[in-house]
Amino acid sequence: MDRLLEFRLSSFFRNKKGAEKYLSPWWFAILFIVAGGIVYMVALFYGKPYDIREVEANLLAEKIADCVVEQNYLKTEILNDPEFKTKFLEYCDLNFNAEDSYGWSNDQYYAEFGISDFSTKKDFEGFPFYAGNPNLKDYCGQQDKNFPFCVEKSFYVLDKTNKQYIVKIISIVRKTEKNAKQ
Amino acid sequence: MVRNLFFKSKKANLLTENVIFIVLNLVFLAILVVFILRASNDASILEEKYAKQIALMLDTAKPGMEIGIELSDAIKKAEKEEWPVEKIVSVSGNLVSVKLSEDGGYSYSFFNDIEPSIDIGPNEIYILVREKNG
Repeated sequence: MDRLLEFRLSSFFRNKKGAEKYLSPWWFAILFIVAGGIVYMVALFYGKPYDIREVEANLLAEKIADCVVEQNYLKTEILNDPEFKTKFLEYCDLNFNAEDSYGWSNDQYYAEFGISDFSTKKDFEGFPFYAGNPNLKDYCGQQDKNFPFCVEKSFYVLDKTNKQYIVKIISIVRKTEKNAKQ
Repeated sequence: MVRNLFFKSKKANLLTENVIFIVLNLVFLAILVVFILRASNDASILEEKYAKQIALMLDTAKPGMEIGIELSDAIKKAEKEEWPVEKIVSVSGNLVSVKLSEDGGYSYSFFNDIEPSIDIGPNEIYILVREKNG
């Protein structure tokens, strides 16, 4: 039986066509290129961080919208209450502190709130106002993923006396180092 | 019969060669698939994924909510790395941290000013959202 196996193996490796197929340098080169390509693609895909800035900026704008609207009506006290502007973050339960990494110093968010009369289109006095890092606004409109992500939303709303308003919210999230590969 | 065993026909030889060729290719593909699966289940990728996912959930959360997140793959990874399961997710201030091994860890901040408390179950975590100072 051993002789049978020996014969088969020797005839298999003597077969020039077979040896060419398995041991050819070209075949090794193809395997190497395919493996290298897959490793490169995997590294490219998993090496990039998940970019959640768009979702985050949208959520921030929605949170501010929820904060100024109650049961589908605008909270009119926001127009007269000076605390709404001076303590905007507390009023809307926002916290713009960011982690102490990459030299960040709580400058990773920006939120701007504007409200105008629907018919005259004129902003109310003291509006728009902002909270957070105003320098981030300079990067809005730029398409590069290494710039902060901006979201601009506006909506029509009534107060309880059926007066019409236009609310405009701009929310910006930076956090570039954690969301885009440098 | 004996003659047939020792002197295989050309067709039989061709079949053996092709079977070995296909097996070698399958082995090569299997190694690549294992590599991709290992890369996708890497602890650092899971830490980033869950830290960001939990941060986004907390951004949308309202006081009184109870949120459940399935974390079975992260829990398995932590058990493999001998890292205590109750230390996988932690929240400090407005910072979520996910840590699956002694050396790893990923943190991400959320802007919603709430006070979440974390409870870890067998396969998932439960986050109870409370109002700050509430």
